[in-house]
Amino acid sequence: MGRRKYELPKQKNTFGLNITSMTDMFTILLVFLLQTYSTSDVELIPENGLRLPQSTTSTNPVESIKLTVSKELVKLDKTKIADMKDSNFEAKDIDPNDTNFILPIFNELDKIAKDEKLKNDPAVKEGRILLQADASLPYSTLRKVMYTASMAGFPQLKLVTVVGN
Amino acid sequence: MRRGKKVRINHEYEFELDLAPLLAVMVKLVPVLLVSSAFVQMMTIETQLPQVVQQAIEKNEKDEKATHISIEVKEKEGVKIVVKKNDGKESSEIVPKKADGTYDYARLHERLVAVKQQNPEVFKVDLSPDGNVSYNDIVRVMDEARRSRDNNIRFPIMDKLTNKETQTDYMFPEVTFANTMEG
Repeated sequence: MGRRKYELPKQKNTFGLNITSMTDMFTILLVFLLQTYSTSDVELIPENGLRLPQSTTSTNPVESIKLTVSKELVKLDKTKIADMKDSNFEAKDIDPNDTNFILPIFNELDKIAKDEKLKNDPAVKEGRILLQADASLPYSTLRKVMYTASMAGFPQLKLVTVVGN
Repeated sequence: MRRGKKVRINHEYEFELDLAPLLAVMVKLVPVLLVSSAFVQMMTIETQLPQVVQQAIEKNEKDEKATHISIEVKEKEGVKIVVKKNDGKESSEIVPKKADGTYDYARLHERLVAVKQQNPEVFKVDLSPDGNVSYNDIVRVMDEARRSRDNNIRFPIMDKLTNKETQTDYMFPEVTFANTMEG
């Protein structure tokens, strides 16, 4: 008796993928992302380890010179300009004749203020600074930054905070 | 003459909606939104710093016209509110720290509301924190001074355009760090 050969049922080479559940997932994701969509025209990227203070203010940031003061370093825009030690400036960065005057900050801001290309920039013209400072820093450190910025022709200070109660 | 064939409509016919183009749009949208999403919302507090040369002149001019209010954030005692009237009369009060060593923000807010009710025309305060006061505490004090938290408490303000009195919940939104230039 010959063995009967088993034949697989003939199948189509293509099949229809059910994407309904995937569309559901994408819709939820889209709604969530639309909620968190940033309408601000200023891009602020917090420094690693920087803890900004919480505030109830609702003023959106405007285009300004970005200065970051964390517990470890001072950054102007994305460039590191000085190191910090114990939440204070290093002795070499402080003017020996004026203990509130931070030389690297003044030099960099002065360069911007005197730059011919940036002469018509509203942020430079009006002397605006967006200060991202760590919440734990003492006022004595911040005062030096404010004093130096004011001396360099940047008297309008905008303190960056995170939204909170 | 032959009669035409009757067209039969199958009302139970089911079809599958093609979701592929919708999914294609979403797949493109999601990365765009992911890049431009702000998961940490950041705002700013505007402050005016005293100008080196012009500030003293401007300040003197302003002092003659309006009541001068200053907030001194002391490291040990608490927060001191000083009100200097244009006739030279000066009054001050201290909102002491709580037993656990933190600032009494609720009490400070209450006192600032009382000061604002007595001086509704003033919107500017001078802030003078001690050197060891943390930035976080300074921002909290500014928050307490900015606007009234109680929806029933409003302050009168004169609209110069319409010459009518309106109400605002803003107390002292303009903050100047007064001791920046001190050594």
